[in-house]
Amino acid sequence: MAVIKPMDRTDRRGAGRQILHSEAAFRSLIESVHDYAILMLDPQGIIVTWNPGAEHIKGYSADEIIGQHFSVFYPAEDRQAGKPEFELAVASRTGRFEDENWRLRKDGSRFWANVTITRLNDEAGNLIGFGKITRDLTERRRAEQRYRQLIESVSDYAIFSLDPSGIVTSWNLGAERIKGYSAEEIIGQHFSRFYPPEYLAAGLPAYVLAQAEQNGHWEGEGWRLRKDGSRFWSSAVVTAIRDEDGDLVGFSKVTRDITDRKLLLDQIKEHAAKLELRVKEREQTNADLEAFSYSVSHDLRAPLRAIQGFASALKEDYADTLDATATSYLTTISDSALRMNRLVQDLLNYSRLNRIDIESQPVSVAEALEQARLELADSPGEIAVHVAPGLQVAAHESTLVQVLFNLLSNALKFHLPEVIPKVAVTAAPLDDGSVRISITDNGIGIAPQHQERIFNVFERLHGQETYPGTGIGLAIVKRGMQRMHGKVGLQSADGDGSTFWVELPAVNA
Amino acid sequence: MAHERDSNIILLVEDTDSDAALVSSAFDRAGIANPIHRVADGEQAVSYLQGIGTYADRKQHPLPAVILLDLNMPRFNGYQVMLWLRTQTELKRIPVVVLTESKDSESINRAYDAGANSYLVKPGEPGEIQRVVEILAEYWMSLNETPRLAFRSGSQR
Repeated sequence: MAVIKPMDRTDRRGAGRQILHSEAAFRSLIESVHDYAILMLDPQGIIVTWNPGAEHIKGYSADEIIGQHFSVFYPAEDRQAGKPEFELAVASRTGRFEDENWRLRKDGSRFWANVTITRLNDEAGNLIGFGKITRDLTERRRAEQRYRQLIESVSDYAIFSLDPSGIVTSWNLGAERIKGYSAEEIIGQHFSRFYPPEYLAAGLPAYVLAQAEQNGHWEGEGWRLRKDGSRFWSSAVVTAIRDEDGDLVGFSKVTRDITDRKLLLDQIKEHAAKLELRVKEREQTNADLEAFSYSVSHDLRAPLRAIQGFASALKEDYADTLDATATSYLTTISDSALRMNRLVQDLLNYSRLNRIDIESQPVSVAEALEQARLELADSPGEIAVHVAPGLQVAAHESTLVQVLFNLLSNALKFHLPEVIPKVAVTAAPLDDGSVRISITDNGIGIAPQHQERIFNVFERLHGQETYPGTGIGLAIVKRGMQRMHGKVGLQSADGDGSTFWVELPAVNA
Repeated sequence: MAHERDSNIILLVEDTDSDAALVSSAFDRAGIANPIHRVADGEQAVSYLQGIGTYADRKQHPLPAVILLDLNMPRFNGYQVMLWLRTQTELKRIPVVVLTESKDSESINRAYDAGANSYLVKPGEPGEIQRVVEILAEYWMSLNETPRLAFRSGSQR
């Protein structure tokens, strides 16, 4: 734009640029401009030149318009008000006049024009006419208006602007809805009135503007005041607005009322904190309980060892002097101590299962079964194992042995007196990548209504006299499988044998 | 000096009286001659091995051929006794057999790290304690070649 300022042309004459001497070159430059109407007026306002840009914007050809007074571009009311003359007078006196307003095209339609009128001098400084540059900003004005209407109509967001000192300069519908002030009430007021006293005391409004000015924008949440004094939780963005030279001209502020979300979030946080506290308390209780059961189990065993050890020593060493009754008493003492010892041992095992680190490694199913079977060597009955020697599962070996031992032990135990217990063990890979180990017996079976609770600690379906036991075996199985991320289940019918199964991830050997 | 440890006694470090009685009686019943000297915790064990206080008389309280050591004891536990023992020039070669409740691998590894020579779990089944004691005596008092203890030159003991 600078190259076509006629004033420059005279100013730079001394610079000796040849091209500026050439009237023809300058004319051709102006002739090529399409987006700007560039024309010259004589001192009275009569049009003397006309470029294609002028024809494009205003619709007149050069032939039609040259020689006419430039007031034909002004709407009737402006003409009557003497605006054309006034503008020339201002340009003549000050060197320049600039305006944005409606102008007329040849066909009578209006366009929004940006107009600059510049006084042109001869070398002696006498007025020789005016240069006039006009741009058609109708589209931009429409866009701006649409934008302003859009902003004004937004009701979920308070969108307003501040001057550099924080005075409110614009106010949309959302701002009115959220804060309660109408535009008339609030424009011209300082925005610090939205802040509660404690924030004012801390100097927050000044801080917010300083941050926005320094960093380009500021974002934050906090309590703000409505016109009626009530509070809302706001989420706001303040953006610094700068002109082309980078000077601060004000701020825009977008504020949302997120009180509902804030309250909900606070509630959730509160619940979470409470829950966490409860979990911690429970964890502590669990840890205490485990430490307690471990220590009780340990301390119970020493006296049991003594009772059992000395009862059997007495029975053996004094066999000659004790009669049958005394011997049977000692047997009862010894057996009871033994039973209690097994109970304590099972409790210890169960408690250990909760405490120890369980890391799964490849374990051979056949070998784990063999280890479990060795511990049952003295129990009557048959165990037939049909398991491929290479089959491996991901398990904690000693825990798996413990699980299988308890299942096999149960399978051998729960049968009618006249039946010889027969147990079959199979293992097969499943489609989901795990291996199912099934232990099937020919025992008394388990009625469906009992099938769930038998996995609980101390849950027993039979008296000690019929089937002795501690009631912990299946609890160990369940907890052991849980700790190894496996599954356990059963199929059984009352009186018709049972199949207990466990599933663990397969390992490809 | 060498005759002091030819006494061939067993130092039983056990805080539970009934367990101590059980082990002692099992040794008696097995007809093993080695007398058991029992102390009730780790602190007493250290005093005994140092020969101080009530244990100053080495004739009455000779150094043991083997130590039977419980782990979970008040004040000074079994691990601490072993860790201390293995730093003692005069005593560090005395074999230590742990005899305790726990059979979790953490306890076992920790005991061997502290310098245990063997680790046995107190048996729960009837008659088992007798068998364990007999094997123990057979192995540690008869089959096993015990080391000569290293004495500091100029030591008064």
